[in-house]
Amino acid sequence: MPEIVLKNIAKRFGKFVAVENLNLTIESNSFITLLGPSGCGKTTTLRMIAGLETPTEGSITIDGKTVFDADQGINLPPNKRDVGFLFQNYALWPHMTVYQNIAFGLENLKWDKKRIQDRVDEMLKLLKIEQFVKRYPAELSGGQQQRVAIARTLAPSPQVLFMDEPLSNLDAKLRGEMRTELKRLHSDTNSTFVYVTHDQLEAMTLSTRVCLMETGVLQQYAPPLEIYNKPANMFVASFVGNPTMNFIPAQVDSVSGNTVSLTTLGRKAVFTAETPVQAVGKEAVIGVRPEFLPIRENGALKAAIYSTLPSGMETTVKAACGDTMLTSVVFGSVDYRVDTEVHMDVVGDSIVLFDKENGKNAGVGKLEFA
Amino acid sequence: MEQTLKRKITWTRMKGRLHAWLSKPANIILLVFLIALAVLTLYPLLSLLMETVTVHLGKEARAAKLEVGAHTLYHFKRIFATSENNYSWIQFYKPFLNTLAVSVTSSIIAILFGGVVAFLITRTNLKFKKFVSAVFVFPYIMPSWTLALFWETFFKNVNIGLKTSNGIMASVFGVFMPEWFVYGFFPIALVLGLHYAPFAYILIGGILRNMDANLEEAATILRTPRWRIIWRITLPIVKPAMLSTFLLVFASSMSAYSVPVFLGSPVRYYVLSTTMKELMNTYKGQAYIIVGVMILFGVAILMLNQKVTNSRKQFTTVTGKSGQISKINLKKANMPIAILLVVVLLLVAVVPLVTFALESLIVKAGDYTPGNMTLDFWIGTGLDKRLDQGDSTGILLNPKVWKALGFSLALALTCSVVAGTCGILVGYGVAKRRGSRLASWVSSLSFFPYLMPSLAFGAIYLSMSSKIPWLHGFLLLGLVGSVKYLPFASRSGVNAMLQLSGEIEEAAVINGVPWWKRMLRVIFPIQKSSFLSGYLLPMVSCMRELSLFVLLVPTSNTILTTMLMQYSEKGWAQFGNAINLLIIIVVLLVNFLVNKLTGASIDKGVGG
Repeated sequence: MPEIVLKNIAKRFGKFVAVENLNLTIESNSFITLLGPSGCGKTTTLRMIAGLETPTEGSITIDGKTVFDADQGINLPPNKRDVGFLFQNYALWPHMTVYQNIAFGLENLKWDKKRIQDRVDEMLKLLKIEQFVKRYPAELSGGQQQRVAIARTLAPSPQVLFMDEPLSNLDAKLRGEMRTELKRLHSDTNSTFVYVTHDQLEAMTLSTRVCLMETGVLQQYAPPLEIYNKPANMFVASFVGNPTMNFIPAQVDSVSGNTVSLTTLGRKAVFTAETPVQAVGKEAVIGVRPEFLPIRENGALKAAIYSTLPSGMETTVKAACGDTMLTSVVFGSVDYRVDTEVHMDVVGDSIVLFDKENGKNAGVGKLEFA
Repeated sequence: MEQTLKRKITWTRMKGRLHAWLSKPANIILLVFLIALAVLTLYPLLSLLMETVTVHLGKEARAAKLEVGAHTLYHFKRIFATSENNYSWIQFYKPFLNTLAVSVTSSIIAILFGGVVAFLITRTNLKFKKFVSAVFVFPYIMPSWTLALFWETFFKNVNIGLKTSNGIMASVFGVFMPEWFVYGFFPIALVLGLHYAPFAYILIGGILRNMDANLEEAATILRTPRWRIIWRITLPIVKPAMLSTFLLVFASSMSAYSVPVFLGSPVRYYVLSTTMKELMNTYKGQAYIIVGVMILFGVAILMLNQKVTNSRKQFTTVTGKSGQISKINLKKANMPIAILLVVVLLLVAVVPLVTFALESLIVKAGDYTPGNMTLDFWIGTGLDKRLDQGDSTGILLNPKVWKALGFSLALALTCSVVAGTCGILVGYGVAKRRGSRLASWVSSLSFFPYLMPSLAFGAIYLSMSSKIPWLHGFLLLGLVGSVKYLPFASRSGVNAMLQLSGEIEEAAVINGVPWWKRMLRVIFPIQKSSFLSGYLLPMVSCMRELSLFVLLVPTSNTILTTMLMQYSEKGWAQFGNAINLLIIIVVLLVNFLVNKLTGASIDKGVGG
């Protein structure tokens, strides 16, 4: 089973740096997402691994075989890398029927007719598109085209499957369905999936590991829940999670071992981390996920309701505590009148302390108000 | 009582609907153009039909033994079914077959040459790309007779054709080319093919450039060998563009006049257009029948073209992410291919200019030694005393030439302004009311002049102008030119408008911006370069047009191209070559200036 290793990969277009010094090991059978805002270099990274783009520096090995090495001048073309690629716009060939589209890659492998026919039928059944076999891509809906594209990519059973935002052209409902299908497909096919997306929810729900990038630089590479609970820096913390994490400014009074005494929201408080606190300056930021900021009658913090956004299962409440706007998620439907005074608490042991200067995670733990 | 009330309500509702319909500028534009184009294209067509059954003055009346002005089917019988002296065969069937052969061959040449170059430019790492893509469109910008004239002057010799004098090939290199190489089918097809190759290059190159690179990458990932990608993916996707090009080049070649005149007539190789011109002087009715046949062919081609482009395998253009597909590395073949291409382009685009320059310098034909050269044909005085031919001064000192140049430029400017503006308006109307019957009528009508052979179009307008006293001179030329070049302008207008989403204008409508202001301040600036191309094309075409104007230009007020024609008829070769060079330089200059000033270019809006 293939493992993909990227070493010191860099890609520059003239002066513009797309990807800088990227080191990444993609374990076999994993489902990796490359996550980040548009223009962060995630698609470029994927295309470099697939061989559609040539890195400026570094080396790439797939399954122990070096497919690219800038120093040794090795650059295997994409067709020799045994990979599958699912394009964002599907890239179905408009002049071929669904059958021809799926069979095309198998013909290249010099399979005999019968075997091709069987494999195509199998793929059609797997993706539930048997009835469209004789149609042209222009005669299919977006979701159907998407399935054909998946079938075409999976037909030669590639060891590694690359997907470039394959769901971004679908409507919300279909996207949800296809997510389920993809995850199922991953466990059925036993291959390694590398998936590009800018949708943090997709990354969280699908992958075994998330590789979060910003402006060409790797920010954090970890399982989704670790990214969520122990973000490496403020960028990661703000990019993952919806509604966004609360960032509350704080002044550090003193640090000793695992505890930090600080002043925040006009109150004295003590932050206790699980591990000794990393270097943190005078100015800090406390990161609190909305679900750790419940509204309670005798909560420590006083705030005035700014707006309430009920969505049925849960309600997002925005409230102003002094000059700071806080976001809280409450289970169930509640509705508050604007400017109602409420009390909030900071609970749980997944509160993150960031250094304000460099934005780095200084420790994860609990926050208690004096 | 109730009845009248009901009627009144219906009437009010109809008035309301009419009012709503008329309040949309697109509807008014389409209506106006429908009427104007019907008059300007259908009326000529009708008068053409009338001419085919009318007895004309001169030989025709005598031969038919009928009175002038009488109506008869004699012309049809004569041209289609006269076995006596092989008349029909010589006057119609043979030229018809020649036309087919020439048109098919030139279309194939144009597609092969233009398509291959388009592929090399967009899909490989060929060297000298900039030079190739810049010079490749030269033959298209230059008048079509340029290459023909060059071919003749370069290869002619005393053994063939009119057997007058030796060209450069014979006199300098001592090589006497055989007749089939210099005159007739081969050079006509080749020259037309080369002339229209840029057309294929622009159309196919556009598709290749805009084609989603993912389509080819998807095949690469599926382990498709390079040649198989080209064969199974790339070619089928550009196939509609190729077919479309084929048909358009076919239509253009079919109606080409100047090339077969220069390269065919000396050896009595006739095509429909040249036969038609000959008949125009003697048997007008039969000439008009040939025009009709050519138009029918054109219409059939147009319909075929529409069928080709509307098929089941619709090519939706979802733009992919990857702009840059990895280019094919030509490796060792790169240099040889690049050099071969550059040499061919130099031969096709640059050597003709040098030849014309040379020919305009030599005193005695066929002698290319420096002693035989003079600049007198450009800037000399008192020439008629020293030489036994031509004007008294060189062309640059000749007020007649300057007057003709001014007239040419004024005409080109007029046609470009009228056709270009109308093209934008048609584009606006058609795009806004896309799918409505009115829009499709107007768009077909505005394309119709394209199918009329220039010479025939001129002839019809000539006969029309004889019935309308105020329609003559500059007005007539401007009108003919504007109508004839409208197809180019309206095509680029429609394309530009279709690219523009309706919301852009609607945003201005919501803000209460009046229509003319929306056009000037919103729509025009956004699609400036495509629109300006719509102006450029009629301008360039008009500058180099001969066959359209040749029958209409008054002898007192010539334009440069007809002047060239007069000079070469008189046999004043040096003056002719000098003027030819002048025309080409002016056309290239205009094209270059417009391109530099506005960014518009020929390749953005193409026609025949």
